Amino acid sequence: MTNKTPVLEIKNLCAGVASQEIIQNLSLTIYEGQVHAIMGPNGAGKSTLSHVLTGKPGYEISKGEVLFKGQDLAKLKIEDRANEGLFLIMQYPVEIAGVSFMTFLKHAINKKRAYQGLAPLSAPAFIKLVHEEADKLNISDDMLKRAVNVGFSGGEKKRMETLQMALLKPSLAILDEADSGLDIDALKVVSKGINDLNDGKRALLIITHHQDLLDYIEPDFVHVFANGHIIKTGDKTLAYELEAKGYTDFIKEASCKSC
Amino acid sequence: MQELLKNIVWLEDDNPVLFAWHQKGRAAFKEFPTKKTEAYKYTPVSEVLTPEMLNVKSHVKDDHCDHGAHHLPFDAYEFCFCDGHLHRHFHAGDDIEVLPIDEAVKTNEIGAYFAKIDLAQYPFAALNTAFLKEGLFIRIHKTPQKPIVFLYHNKNRGFKNIRNVIVADKGVKAEWIEMFEGKDEAYFLNIVNEIFVLNEAKLTHHKLQHEGEEAVHIALSDAHVKEGGQYQSYAFEKGGKLVRNETHVMLNQENASARVNAAYHLLRKCHIDTTTNIEHLSENTRSDQLVRGVIDDKGHGVFQGKIHIAPDAQKTEGYQIHKALLLSDEAKVDVKPELEIFADDVKCSHGATSGDLNQDEIFYLESRGIDETSARQVLVNAFLQAAFDDVENPDIKKLYPSD
Ligand SMILES: Nc1ncnc2c1ncn2[C@@H]1O[C@H](COP(=O)(O)OP(=O)(O)OP(=O)(O)O)[C@@H](O)[C@H]1O
Ligand SMILES: [Mg+2]
Repeated sequence: MTNKTPVLEIKNLCAGVASQEIIQNLSLTIYEGQVHAIMGPNGAGKSTLSHVLTGKPGYEISKGEVLFKGQDLAKLKIEDRANEGLFLIMQYPVEIAGVSFMTFLKHAINKKRAYQGLAPLSAPAFIKLVHEEADKLNISDDMLKRAVNVGFSGGEKKRMETLQMALLKPSLAILDEADSGLDIDALKVVSKGINDLNDGKRALLIITHHQDLLDYIEPDFVHVFANGHIIKTGDKTLAYELEAKGYTDFIKEASCKSC
Repeated sequence: MQELLKNIVWLEDDNPVLFAWHQKGRAAFKEFPTKKTEAYKYTPVSEVLTPEMLNVKSHVKDDHCDHGAHHLPFDAYEFCFCDGHLHRHFHAGDDIEVLPIDEAVKTNEIGAYFAKIDLAQYPFAALNTAFLKEGLFIRIHKTPQKPIVFLYHNKNRGFKNIRNVIVADKGVKAEWIEMFEGKDEAYFLNIVNEIFVLNEAKLTHHKLQHEGEEAVHIALSDAHVKEGGQYQSYAFEKGGKLVRNETHVMLNQENASARVNAAYHLLRKCHIDTTTNIEHLSENTRSDQLVRGVIDDKGHGVFQGKIHIAPDAQKTEGYQIHKALLLSDEAKVDVKPELEIFADDVKCSHGATSGDLNQDEIFYLESRGIDETSARQVLVNAFLQAAFDDVENPDIKKLYPSD
C-alpha cells in the first residue's frame, strides 16, 4: 500500500479565513480504498477543512501543503479539483432557485466527461443513468424536477448530495455530516449508497458526530479532531470510546500545535 | 435636438385618409423627449438619435429582403417586416382577418380600434401616426390553430415606423409573438401596437428583441381589456443601443386582468428601459408584473412601473416586482415604482431589489465541476427565466432563457 501515491496528503497545514487561522498544523494521509472518519466538537474546524480542500473562496492556506493524487491542490481551480475526483457532501447544501436538479446534474456530468475527453451523454442515456441511481436512494422524479435543494428537507438534501456523489464517482469523497438530519431508514439508504461507491478504488473522509454511520460504513481509521488538528487516531473502537466519554478528556491530554 | 426636428422629412400621402392621420400626428408631435421630460428622464432618446436615423428613404424594397433567416421550431401564421416594410404577400386562415394597416384605416371595421392613444402623452405615438403607412391590422375571430408571429428583420439604416392593431374577439384565445432581429446598423425603429382584448378573450403577447448594437428601438403597446378579458405580455430584451419597451394597459371592465412580465440582459453599453402603466379602471381587476434584469459591462437598465387604481376600482389587486442583478461595477439601474391608489378596498404591492450573483451558489456549482463562466451563465439564465415560468405554451417557452 505504501508504495502507492496517496489520494490525499495533507502536510503541516495551516489554513483558515482572513480573520483567523482555523486549521492548525494538520497532517493526514489517505490512500486508495481507505475510509477515514473524523469526529470532533462543534467549531473544531472540520467543515473548514472541507472548504479548504474544495477551494471555497475566502479560505486560504497559509502554511503547509496539500497533495491530491500527487498534485498541489492549491494550484487547481475549484472545478478542476472536482473533475479530478474530489467531491464534498456539504454540511449545508446550497439552494439554487430556477435551476432544476436534472439540468444541474446534466451540466455536472457532462463537464466531467468533457474533462475526461468524453462526449456528452445523450439525453436518454443521461435520464436512464440518473433514474437508476435515484431509485437506489428513493429519490422521486418529482424531486429531480424541482429546483436544486430549494425547499428540500435536511434529510432530502443529504440524499440528493449522495445522488450527485454516486453519479460523479469521485476518487475522494468528503462527507461533512452526511448523516445529520437523516431518519433511520434514510441513514440505511444513504449508507448503502456510500458503500456501493466504496469499491476499493476510492477513498472516503467521513466527518460525523455519531458512531451510527460508522456502524454501516466500517472506517479504517478514526481521528479525533480538535483545535484545528488531529489529536488522536485509532480504529473504530475509538468512536465508541468517544461516544462514551465525550471529548473533554481527549482535548485535555492533547498537546498544543498552533501555527 | 432642434436639428433633429428640422431634419425630418414628413410624409404626405396622396390618400386623403392617410393624409389626415399624418397631419394629426404631426400636429401632436412637439419635440423629441429629453432628460427634462419626466417620463424619459432616465432614457433621453433625443441624445442617441441622429438625422440620418430619421431618414425614411433608406427603406429597402420587398424583394431585396432576405426573410428566410428565421426558422421557427413550430407552425405559425408568419408575417414579415423587412426594414420596417411589410411583406404584403402573406397567408391568413379563416380564423384571422388580416389587412395592411394603410388599407385597414380606409375601412369601417377598424374604426373603434384605431388611434385610441393620447398623442399628447405619448410623443412617439404621435410621430408614429405622422408616418402611418406600414403595419398590420389583425382581427382574431376564432381561436387560431397556431400562434401569430411577426418577424422584424432590420438590416439597413434609417427610420422604420410600424403601427399594428390586434383585436382579440370575444372568447378567443390567441398567442401573438413579435421577434426583432437586426444588424449592427444605426436605425430608429418606432413601433406602436394597439391591442384590444374583448370580453372573456385571452391574448398572450410575446416579444423577443435581439437587435444589433446600434439600434434605437422605441415600442409602445397600448392594450384595452374588456370584461373578463386577459392580456398577458412577456418580453425578453437583449441587444440594441437604446431600447424603450413601454406597456400601457387599461383594465376597462370588471374581471379584466393583465400579466406583464419582462426580462432583459444588458451587455456592453446597452440601455434598456421597461416602462409600464397599468390602469385599473373597474372593480375586481387584477394585474401582476414581474420584471427581471441582468446588467453587465456598462449596461444601463431602467424600470418605471406604475399601477393606477381609479376611485371606482374596488376589490382590485395590483402587484409589481422588479429584481436586478448588477454584474459589473459600471452596471447601472434606475427604478421608479409608482402607485396611484384612489380606491380603498384594494390589495397592492410593489418591490424592487438589486444585487450580485450569490457566491455560495457559484461555489456549489464549481464544486460539482462546472467552470465559473458556465456557472454564472447557469445562474443568470435561472434568474431571467423566472419571468417566463408561467408561459403556458412549451414551444414558445423554449424561445426564452431557461435553466
Ligand atoms: N468564513 C468564516 N468566517 C469566520 N469564522 C469562520 C468562518 N468559517 C469558519 N469559521 C469559524 O471557524 C471555526 C470552525 O468552524 P467549522 O465550521 O469548521 O467547525 P466544525 O468543526 O465543522 O463544527 P460543527 O461540528 O459545528 O459543524 C468556528 O469557530 C467558526 O465560527
Ligand atoms: Mg461542520
